[in-house]
Amino acid sequence: MAGLSLKNVTKRYGMLEVIHGANLEIADGEFVVFVGPSGCGKSTLLRMIAGLEDIVEGEIRIGGKVVNDAEPSDRGIAMVFQSYALYPHMTVGENLSFGLRMNGNPRVDTERRVRRAAEILQINELMQRRPKQLSGGQRQRVAIGRAIVREPQVFLFDEPLSNLDAELRVQMRVEISRLHKQLGTTMVYVTHDQTEAMTLADKIVVLRAGKIEQVGAPLDLYDDPANRFVAGFVGSPKMNFLETKVTSSDATGVSVSLDCEPAVRLSLPVKTPIAEGTAVTLGVRPEHFLTAGSGDADLTVHVDVAEHLGNTSYVHASTAGGEQLIIERPESRTVANRDQLTVALSARRTFLFDSQGNRLR
Amino acid sequence: MPSRNRVAYAFLAPYLLIFATFWVWPIISSFLLSFQNTRVNPWRFQPSLNWGRLVADPAFYNALYNTLIILVIQVPVMIALATVMAVLLNSPLLKARPLYRFAFFAPVVVGEVAYAAVFRLMFSADFGIINKLITSIGFAPVSWFDNATAAMILIIIAVTWRWAGYNAIIILAGLQSIPGDVYEAATLDRVSKRQQFLHITLPLLKPIILFCAVLSVIGTMQLFTEPFLITNRGGPGGGTETLGLLLYRQGFTSLNFGYASAIAYTIAALAIAISLLNLWVAREPK
Ligand SMILES: Nc1ncnc2c1ncn2[C@@H]1O[C@H](COP(=O)(O)OP(=O)(O)O)[C@@H](O)[C@H]1O
Ligand SMILES: [Mg+2]
Repeated sequence: MAGLSLKNVTKRYGMLEVIHGANLEIADGEFVVFVGPSGCGKSTLLRMIAGLEDIVEGEIRIGGKVVNDAEPSDRGIAMVFQSYALYPHMTVGENLSFGLRMNGNPRVDTERRVRRAAEILQINELMQRRPKQLSGGQRQRVAIGRAIVREPQVFLFDEPLSNLDAELRVQMRVEISRLHKQLGTTMVYVTHDQTEAMTLADKIVVLRAGKIEQVGAPLDLYDDPANRFVAGFVGSPKMNFLETKVTSSDATGVSVSLDCEPAVRLSLPVKTPIAEGTAVTLGVRPEHFLTAGSGDADLTVHVDVAEHLGNTSYVHASTAGGEQLIIERPESRTVANRDQLTVALSARRTFLFDSQGNRLR
Repeated sequence: MPSRNRVAYAFLAPYLLIFATFWVWPIISSFLLSFQNTRVNPWRFQPSLNWGRLVADPAFYNALYNTLIILVIQVPVMIALATVMAVLLNSPLLKARPLYRFAFFAPVVVGEVAYAAVFRLMFSADFGIINKLITSIGFAPVSWFDNATAAMILIIIAVTWRWAGYNAIIILAGLQSIPGDVYEAATLDRVSKRQQFLHITLPLLKPIILFCAVLSVIGTMQLFTEPFLITNRGGPGGGTETLGLLLYRQGFTSLNFGYASAIAYTIAALAIAISLLNLWVAREPK
């Protein structure tokens, strides 16, 4: 087993730089999830770790050893591809053992490893089938099995669940989590789905446009996002962003006012001094609105669409200033479209961002 | 029949009529022809004449032998070459790929007569570039058109030159349908490039290669242009006479259509038999 270390890792395709100097430490046995929107460079970064893309600048270490110039097969990694990449003409058993057989691994050992992988993933019954005779979930298991058989120091997953339907995705997510507990091996997992990231990760790495925006435990990212991008990306439904103006600022905090009728003023415990009149963005998660009167300021909104799911209700609403927001209110089961709804904001559960999207603390 | 269907058939009728006249009828007619004595006027039904002659005709056996020799050597060599060409064409290291693709495919488009003329010039015993090359590396010149073995080799080279690129393009399409991440997975599994080719590429290409082989068998069974135009109508002395050429001579030189039809049916039957054998040998193990 091994940890992983990325130092100033950079990737360019011709003139186009797609990874801008990534720095990251991954501890031995950790489950790390790279998350970010499509095209932000998650796969590229993962493939650089795997050795399928070369590194233009910087250094990647696996288990302390620099692997920049090591062959992919010498890095002690195994990778599970989004498309499974099973060998279509081989049975499941042959798929699992192919790499070992090609390398003259002793037969007894190959059989032992295949049997163990099949047991862990419960695919014993499928060993004689070919990939096209398997369901998506079964193929995914075989792909993971092929990785297990290699007994790697690090597992790499590139969006392994994105081709599965919603229900199966939840089920496989739990299985991958269980697999990590059982094997205890370092895993690096790429997804664009923040729910997968939140549920699987020991540590989340949020990427945007080839830059690491924030690294942290799932709940730390939720509670304390470094910027507006991370705040918007982590959590579902997305955080609401409301345009406000600073009305006063001193050592104890900042007061902002929302452009709506009646005017909403909120004092926030933000220590950074900000000039009066500066436009700032207020971030409020849908689940952090309170019952009217019980917070630090009340906000009245016009309900556009109310969705009642039973356990909770999502209210899609707009402010008098015309800003759209989503409010989650388990208590609002009776709210109907076109109603007025008054909710409270809590200074403790709001975030402030400057016009560049940086968090103001 | 519902009137809708009747209308549909009415619209299809012109096509069906032409199809029946020019496709179905010749097939039936030539089959019937093979049982007729077409050397008397009027033609007479004489079932054993042509078929009887066929099984005893040394010219037929010579043509059959030549055709099968060309088939057995040329088809495997060409398919192997086409596979190699396809793999090279598919290599990411290759620059100016469309140019090569065109160059490989071009022989198919070149007019047969022009191509035959160029081959005759290149292989000319006295001033052809091939013999110049052969003598320049210290070997004796080859009389390509006067020696039966050399003439057969010439035919095989010519046919291969003309069709290898065509097959390579088909195989290339097959190669490109193999997803790249399968090879990446194999690379991570420490499977060498050579092993990847043998254990992944070839098995996955099998259906395409088989398809090419069947097409080539059918084509070679009908081989006509090369022995007719390049080696002087099957020369030297019938040394490169193929079934196609024999058929032509019987039908259009001797105007013996009955015998020509019998030969035509033999060619078709052999092509089908060899293709089926091909498919059977390469069938999916169950
Ligand atoms: N071979 C390539 N050539 C040029 N640009 C590429 C290549 N592969 C990926 N990119 C670019 O790199 C960026 C990151 O891609 P990728 O890592 O696949 O994103 P993600 O996996 O996060 O969706 C994208 O903008 C993509 O267009
Ligand atoms: Mg990707």
